[in-house]
Formats: sequence, C-alpha cells, structure tokens
Amino acid sequence: MPPGLDNLKHIVVLMMENRSFDHMLGSLTAVDPRIDGITAQLSNPDTTGALVNPQPLAQFQGQLDPDPDHHFLAVDLQIFGGDTSTSRVANMQGFIKSYFNQQEDVGHSQKIMYYFAQNQLPVLTTLALEFAVFNRWFASIPGPTICNRAFAHYGTSFGQVDMDILYVNEPFKDIYDRLINANPKHTAKLYYYDTTSSTMEVANLLQNEPQLFGTYDQFLNDCSSGNLPDYSFIEPNYNDHDTDTGEAVASDQHPDHNIQAGELFIASVYNAIKQNASLWQSTALLVVYDEHGGIYDHVVPPACTPDQFTASANDTGTGQPFAFDRLGVRVPAILISPWIPKGSVVDGRIFDHASIPATITKFFLGDYSPRSPRETTADVFIEPNLAPIDPTRNLLSLAAMRTDCPDFDV
Amino acid sequence: MTLIHVPRPDLRSAMDPTRPVNALLKAQIRHLHDAENNLPLRHQTDIYINAIKTEGEAAEYIRQVTTAIHEAHEAAAALRKRGIAITAAAEKPARKTKSAGSGKKKNNKKNGPKT
Repeated sequence: MPPGLDNLKHIVVLMMENRSFDHMLGSLTAVDPRIDGITAQLSNPDTTGALVNPQPLAQFQGQLDPDPDHHFLAVDLQIFGGDTSTSRVANMQGFIKSYFNQQEDVGHSQKIMYYFAQNQLPVLTTLALEFAVFNRWFASIPGPTICNRAFAHYGTSFGQVDMDILYVNEPFKDIYDRLINANPKHTAKLYYYDTTSSTMEVANLLQNEPQLFGTYDQFLNDCSSGNLPDYSFIEPNYNDHDTDTGEAVASDQHPDHNIQAGELFIASVYNAIKQNASLWQSTALLVVYDEHGGIYDHVVPPACTPDQFTASANDTGTGQPFAFDRLGVRVPAILISPWIPKGSVVDGRIFDHASIPATITKFFLGDYSPRSPRETTADVFIEPNLAPIDPTRNLLSLAAMRTDCPDFDV
Repeated sequence: MTLIHVPRPDLRSAMDPTRPVNALLKAQIRHLHDAENNLPLRHQTDIYINAIKTEGEAAEYIRQVTTAIHEAHEAAAALRKRGIAITAAAEKPARKTKSAGSGKKKNNKKNGPKT
C-alpha cells in the first residue's frame, strides 16, 4: 500500500466562506498553466454592454460591499447570463449584471470581476502550489451558505436551496453520527472558533449533540497533545468580537470581512498540524470554500446526479423547480499532506462538498448506507486504503514523506 | 524549508463590531433562536432578535445562546446520571434545577438589544 495512505489517521477539513476559485487562485495560471484560472480571453458584459476583463485589483476589505448576492435566483443569473428560456446554456456571463442589481452602479458592479494577485495571498497560493489544488471543486448547490455546508455534513441539503433552518430527514445521518456510532468506534469533532462565533450547524447538531463540538483553542490543544480525532471539521470566526485576550477579527473571509485575517487563520491551522511531527505525517488537511459568494468564476458548473429531493419553484425563485442536478460555482480547494507531490494539480475529476462525507465514510468506515444519491456518486479525494489502489487517483502518492514543506510565520 | 511571511491585517480598520449584520449571521441568529425556543425557559435569553443590527450585538446573542445550549445539555446529563426523567426535569423551576446539579453559574451579561 502507498505509505501515505498507510500512515493516514486523521482528516481535517477547514471550510472558509464565499470566495470563488478565480477570485482567490485565478492568478496562479500565470505561474502554472495547468491551473485553470484567469486568462486574457475571459470577460463579462456590464449593463452598458461593455466587456469587462478580470483584473488583479481585489482588495482585502471594503470593496465588495454590499455583500454580493448569492442566493439561488442571483446565482442563476450569474451562471446563465439572464437567459431564462428552456433552451438556455450556462455561460457564466451574468456576474456583473447580478451585482449591478444591488446598487445600480456600473463602476461598482465591475468589481465583481476583480481577483487577487498571487503575492496578496501568500498562504493560500503557497499551499496551492506546494500541495494538490483542485481544478474542479464546485459548491454543491448554486446557492448560499447553509445549504452548501449541509452537503459537507450530510451529503445532501434535504431539498433546501436557501438559508432557512435545515431539518434533517432521518434516513441520512451526518458524518459525525456515522463515525462515533460505528463499530469499531471512530472519533469526530466539529470545532467552531469560539462560543461567541459558534457554529453554522445549529439546528441539527449543536442543539442535539453538543458533545461533538469543540472550540478552535481545543483544536490547537488537541493538535499539540496528539489527541486530534479521526475526523475534524473546522469553522472560522464568523464575526468581529472581543475576547478575554483581545479582539477577534472575523477570519471567515466572507465579504466584507478581512481577507488577511483569513490567511492568518488558514496558516494557523496548517502550523498547528505541522508542528506536531507525528500528527503531520498522519494527517491530511483539506482547505475549501463553501460557495463563491456571488464573485466571478469562469468555469461552467457541470450537471450531476439528481438528489432524491426537489426544491420547489417558489423556493428557487426562478419559476422552475430544482432537482439538485447541477453543481454550484467553482470554489478553491486544496489538499495538504507531506505525502502529496509538490505542484499537484487535480484535473479531469469533479468534486463538490458531498465529496467530504463520501471520502470520510469510505476511508474510515468502508461501505455504508443509506447515503444520499449525491453523496453516493460523489468522487473521493482520498482513496480508501484497500487493495487495489489506483495510482492515478491516489494523491498521497509519494514513497517517502516530504521534508521541504513550507512554514508560515504566524 | 521555506518560511513564508504572513502579513497581519490592520486591526484598526479590520475590526468593526458596528458593521451591519450580514445575511449569514442573520441566518445563524434565526437558527439559534429556533434552538433557544427548544430550551427550558430558565436557559432562554430575553434578547429580541429582530432588533439585532450589528456584528457586536449578534456576537453577544450567539455567545449567550451557545452557552445556554451547552448548559442545558450539561444539566440534562447530570439529571440523567441521577436517573431522573429528562422531560419531567425540564418542567422544574430554575432554582430546583440548579440545586439538582446544573453546575455552572449562568452568565447573565446581556449587551444585546432587548424589548
């Protein structure tokens, strides 16, 4: 068996907020053409009909205010460019039109095309170039946060496409429940930043199973003490607030929160794992964003296996029901492990957040049912450690662990 | 091994608890309010969520309800250990429950908007 898989004992997922692939990592095409980011041919029309190219003018804060609309109806406009006909084809031409609808300011609406230069995001771009960056990781739904995050926990949103309270449909258990009730038992924890930021998984998990939760300080302690669970899901700080030790700036990178605070947070998670040598060699860290936040990306979201739920025309706002048969807009996703070859680019495979419970389940539990149709058909980003391993799919493929991985001065 | 410098945000401009609550925090508040309504009365806050306008106010509400959820579960777990039916215990007044082992003193600091 590949030693990377043999050594793997912990999988950690850090899910950030509301930034598209092109916005965060699009600059890297200039560094490595295998990375499918920004090229000179890309554009979107503004409401005057002028074509606007993506430009490396994104700012850390204060630029995407108001928060770009990313509810289902707005994302439909972003993906289809405003074509509502039955024969329409997705073209990713409606981002400026969508942002214009919020302030009716042509100049401001063009900022939705801005992306970060590589040197503005030293953490995320370094991780992307050093480890495995996914060219085709999409949000699970062309919609907002709550329903997309549900796919990371349950492999489905139970028919929901919005931010309303999500109530679990019993047949599909969350990934934490599956692990802690398995035989043999596994360990799992959802770490929210602190009590004042809390979790987005309130309605089903926090109020029912608070023992599954920990704070970010506990994550740091669990890393240093070697007590990290088999599976960890980390949430960033969602709001600015005071703490006993000072000020906690929101680190989720949700517009209009500060991007650099999020960079520090990502680096902090990485360092916490890497600074424990035993943990570093036995852990894979996935950094991924929940959805694109209404910000431009050029890759058309593909069709996918329909879920067994349907959102009504009233819920979508488009006048049409939605069978969960198309993915959302592309987001940044990076898999980190010292067993991954430097400069890995995952191409030709499609992932979404249902890939998270799919991967965790297959790796730790093997066969498990019932799972949602979307999760059952989702690709996995870590191969189950069972013979035969397909070397073309296994990302933790090195015969010897790397010793040249970067450090961040956090 | 390469050491990557990570620039710090300027706290004076990055930190703004008076920033209007975004859609995500509004949703989180609604979800917590739903959870709060399922708690025994003694664990509920008296914060009127429709009056929450800023991140600072949202943070305070989120802190109180998250703490209350944990305290309610700790209280229920303590009662369960003693073999007391949880549903019956939930109806007891706060004074009796505290003496029955709810443990922590509740922090009643309430900076959020109220009715």
